[in-house]
Amino acid sequence: MNSLYSRQPEPPFKTCLERPRLHRVLRRREGEVPDGATVMAYVNPVPKLYKSVIEDVIEGVRDLFAEEGIEEQVLKDLKQLWEAKVLQSKATEDFFRNSIHSPLFTLQLPHSLHQTLQSSTASLVIPAGRTLPNFTTTELGASNSSANFAFPGYPIHVPAGVTLQTASGHLYKVNVPIMVTQTSGRANVLQHPVQQVFQQFGQPSIIHTGIPRLTPCSLQATTEKSQRMETMLQQPTILYPGTVDRKHLENATSDILIPPGNEHKITCEALLSSPKSSQFISLPSVAFPPQVSQLECNMEPVLGVPAGMTQNLHGGPLSMDPQGALHQHMSDVQLHVLKHRMFGCDSMKQPRNTEEPSGLPDSEKDSNSHMDLSVQVTDDDINEIIQIDGAGDTSSNDEIGSTRDIDENEFLGTIDAGSLKVLEEEADSISNEDSTVNSSDNEDPQIDVVEEDPLNSGDDVSEQDVPDLFDTDNVIVCQYDKIHRSKNKWKFYLKDGVMCFGGRDYVFAKAIGDAE
Amino acid sequence: LYRNTTLGNSLQESLDELIQSQQITPQLALQVLLQFDKAINSALAQRVRNRVNFRGSLNTYRFCDNVWTFVLNDVEFREVTELIKVDKVKIVACDGK
Repeated sequence: MNSLYSRQPEPPFKTCLERPRLHRVLRRREGEVPDGATVMAYVNPVPKLYKSVIEDVIEGVRDLFAEEGIEEQVLKDLKQLWEAKVLQSKATEDFFRNSIHSPLFTLQLPHSLHQTLQSSTASLVIPAGRTLPNFTTTELGASNSSANFAFPGYPIHVPAGVTLQTASGHLYKVNVPIMVTQTSGRANVLQHPVQQVFQQFGQPSIIHTGIPRLTPCSLQATTEKSQRMETMLQQPTILYPGTVDRKHLENATSDILIPPGNEHKITCEALLSSPKSSQFISLPSVAFPPQVSQLECNMEPVLGVPAGMTQNLHGGPLSMDPQGALHQHMSDVQLHVLKHRMFGCDSMKQPRNTEEPSGLPDSEKDSNSHMDLSVQVTDDDINEIIQIDGAGDTSSNDEIGSTRDIDENEFLGTIDAGSLKVLEEEADSISNEDSTVNSSDNEDPQIDVVEEDPLNSGDDVSEQDVPDLFDTDNVIVCQYDKIHRSKNKWKFYLKDGVMCFGGRDYVFAKAIGDAE
Repeated sequence: LYRNTTLGNSLQESLDELIQSQQITPQLALQVLLQFDKAINSALAQRVRNRVNFRGSLNTYRFCDNVWTFVLNDVEFREVTELIKVDKVKIVACDGK
C-alpha cells in the first residue's frame, strides 16, 4: 500500500516545524516525497533540492563504483556521510536523510510484536517538525525478526502500545516505549527500554552497529567490510540486539545508521554467526549506540549520553536474563562506542565472538566495568578540559589545572624576557611537574604556565574563530547573465545561484541586484 | 563552480574520509566530484524556479578569467517569502553562457 498512514489536510503553516507532520511522518516510503517535504518545498526548497542532487549524484556514481570494484556499502557510506554533513551544516534544517532511501531506514520489529500503525498515536509520539524515516521491514522469519529502527537524529517517541505499520505492510505493535531524542543535534540518544522488547528473544543480543540489512550474500560482504572498517566512525549507531535473522535481511537500510565508516559492522560478523535473531535499533548518525559493536571508539561528547543510556538500559532488563544479555550488549556497545572509534573491527570481533550466550554473564560484568572506566576516563578528560579552559578556576582537583589556574590569576602581563627564556627552558619540566615546580619556583612556573596559557588560549580562540568566520562568510556561487555598470552604479543579472548566509542555504534561479 | 558550497564541501569531505580509510581511490573521488558538478548544474537549472532581488553597496569587484567576484556590504536580499540582510557578502559568478 502506498499510504501507510492516514493523511490529513495540511494547514497553511509557514515553516515545516510548525506543521504537524506527525501524521505523515511515518508515511515516508522509498522514493516517495513526503507531504512534509512538499510543505517544506513551499517554505524552503533547499533540503529537497539537496536531497535530489545527492540522489542523482549517488546514482550517477553507482556505476563508477561498480566499475572500480568498490562495494555498494562504500557508496552507501558516502551517501550517509554526505547527508550527515549536509544535515549538520544547518543549511538544511529539515533535511531528511532518511527520506532518500528506504534501505537506510529499516524498521525491523520483532516478529512477535504486533505493531499496527495508528496515525493518531504516532502523532502524539512524534514531535512536530520531524519526519520519521521510512519504515521498511525485513522479512519476518518464523522465529527471527530484527527490529532496526533507524532514525536520523530526529526525536522520536514511541510510547508503548503504539502500533506502527511498516512500509511493507507489516503491522507492529510497540510494547516498549521507545524514545529517541536528538541531543547535540547529531547524536541521538536512544532511551529505550529495550529490555522489554527483547524479552522475547532468549538469546543474547548481538551488538550490531549500523550493520546494514543485507541479503545473505551482502551480509558476507558486510562482514568483510567490517573487517576493513576501522575508523570512519563518526557517529556510533545505537543498536539494540534483538532477533535478527540474516536471511531475512533484505534492506541495506541499516546503512543509515552506519556512520561513515560503519565500523560497527563487526556485528555483521556476529550476525552471521549468531543463529539468533537480534533486534536492532540503529540510529543513523546517532552518537549513542546502546549496543555498540565492540568498537573502541572514544567519543567524549557522546559519552555523556551513552552513560545515561546505559543506565536506562540497566534499569530495566537486569532482572531478566535474556534482557540482561541484551542489556549487556548494549552496555558493551556503548562502551565500545565511547571508546576509540577508530579501532579496527578485528579486535572487536573477537570479543564479540565471546559474547555468545554462554559467555554473556561474564562479559556483562566486564562490559559494565569497562563502561564505567570509559565513562570515568571520559569524565576525567572532560573535567580536565573544563578546568584548563576555565580561566580563573581555582579548583584544585587537577594539579595541572590548579597550577594553570593559579598562574592565570596571578599573571597580569608581567612576563619578563629573561623569565620567559627561563620558562621556555623549564616549560617541559613544568608541564610535567605539578606542585613541586610550582612550589619551588613560583614565578617561573607561573610565567611558564602563563606562556603556555596564551598558547593554549590562542589555539582555542583560533579554533573557534576559524569555523565561525567560515560559517558566517556569506557567499553566493552563481552564474551571471550580465553585469552592467554605469559610472558607479552596478547592475547584476545573475542566475542559478546557491547562497549561504550564516550557515543557511538558499537557492535562486534568477537574481537581480543593484549596488553603488 | 559549485564545489565550494555546503553540498559540495560536505561531499568532498566525505570523499576525503573514504579515501583516508582507503575505501575509494582519489581518482574515483574525482569522478564523483565531476558527477556532482553535472548533477548540481542540472538541478539548479531545472529544479529551482525562484527569484531574488538584492540591493547593496559595492565594496570590491574583480573580473578575471571570465569570473566575476564581488564583495558587497550591507546587502539586502529580498525574496517573495522573506527578506535577508547581511553585512557582507561575497559573490562569485561564472559566465552563464
